[in-house]
Amino acid sequence: MASPLSLVRSVQTLHPSALAAGEGAGEDALVGRARRGDVDAFERLYHLHAGRVYALCLRLAGEPAEARELVQDTFVHAWEALPRFRGESSLTTWLHRIAVNAMLERRRRDRRRSARVTLVEDEDEVESAPLAGGFVAPTDVATAIDLERAIAALPPGVRRAFVLHEVEGYTHEEVAGMTGLATGTLRAQLHRARQLLIRALSL
Amino acid sequence: MNEHISPSDTKLDELTAELPREIAPPPELWNAIRAELAERSSNRWRWDRWRLAAAGLLIAASSSLLTVVALRAREHAREVAIAPVAPSSSAAAQSEPRLPARLASAEQGYLRSAEALRRTLDERRDSLAPSTVATVERSLRIADSAIAEARAALERDPSNAVLAALFTSNYERKIDVLRRATELAPRT
Repeated sequence: MASPLSLVRSVQTLHPSALAAGEGAGEDALVGRARRGDVDAFERLYHLHAGRVYALCLRLAGEPAEARELVQDTFVHAWEALPRFRGESSLTTWLHRIAVNAMLERRRRDRRRSARVTLVEDEDEVESAPLAGGFVAPTDVATAIDLERAIAALPPGVRRAFVLHEVEGYTHEEVAGMTGLATGTLRAQLHRARQLLIRALSL
Repeated sequence: MNEHISPSDTKLDELTAELPREIAPPPELWNAIRAELAERSSNRWRWDRWRLAAAGLLIAASSSLLTVVALRAREHAREVAIAPVAPSSSAAAQSEPRLPARLASAEQGYLRSAEALRRTLDERRDSLAPSTVATVERSLRIADSAIAEARAALERDPSNAVLAALFTSNYERKIDVLRRATELAPRT
C-alpha cells in the first residue's frame, strides 16, 4: 500500500458521534439541498466526508482499488437513499454504515461467486482457528513495521472488527449491529486481531 | 480497549490512537461518482417516463370501462323513468344532482392534493423535457375527462359502487401522475 501517512491529516480519536457533533448547521442545509436533487450540495458533502469514508474503506478493504470502489458505492447509495435520511444518526455514522454494508455485500457476492472454503473470515471459525491459520500474509508483512500495512494484512473479518472497534471507536454492540456478528464472536475476532498485529509489528 | 494491559497491548493502543482518521481519496474519485449518478439518473428518467405513459394508458382504459358502466347505468335509469312513480319521487329527481357525502369529501381531499402537486409541477416545468411535459399533460387530460365522466354518471346513479370505485381510482391515478411528474425534475 502506498504510504497513507503522507496523504493524511490527523484528527483526535473520538467516537464517531462526537465527531459528528462538530458538523455545523451548514451541513444540515447541504443535506436538505442534496435531498432535493442538488448535486452541487452533494459534492460539498462528499468533500466534507470523503476523507473519513475513504480511510474507513481503505482499512476495511486492505487495498486501494477496492477502497475506491467502496467509496463510490457508498456515495452513490447515499445519494439514492438521502431522501430517506431522517437525521436520526449523524451523517458520518450513516455513511459509515452504508460503507460497511457495501463491504459486507461485496464479501457475500464474492463468496457466492467463488464458493471458497479457505477463508478464516468465516465468523464461527475464528474462535477455534489457530493463530497462523488462514492468515494470508503478503510477502512484505514479515518486515512491515507499519501498522496500516499490518492491519491491511489481517484476515478480512478480523480486520473489519479491529477497524470498526479499535480505529473508528464503535462499541462492541454497535459493531455487532453493523456486521451482524454475535458480540462473543466479535470479541474473539478483536483478540485475534491484536495477537496478529502484535506479532506482525514485533511489539 | 483498557481491558488490554500487557506492554504490547498498550503500545498497540498507542499506535492505533495515532492512526489518521482521514485519508484523502484519489482526486478523480468524485468525477467517477458524479458520472455514475448521472447514468443512474438517466436510467431512472427513462423508467419514470415509461411509467407515466403506462399510467396514462391505464387511465384511458379505465375511462373506456367507465363509459360502458355509465351507458348501462343510463339504460337502467331509462327503464326506471318509464315505470310509474310517486309525486314525491318526481320532485326529488328534479333536485340538484350531487355526489354522495363520502365521495364529495374524498373529492375535496383529492382536489387539494392535486392543486398542491400541480403548483410544484408548474414550478419545475422548465426543467422537464418537452416530450415529458406533453406526456404528463396528455395523461392529466385523460384523467380529468375520466373523472368528469365518472362524476356525471355518479350524480345520476349515486349508489353505483362500480362508478364510485372508478371515480376515486381515476383521482388516485391523476394524483399519481402528478406526483411522478414532480419527481421527474432532473437530479443532475
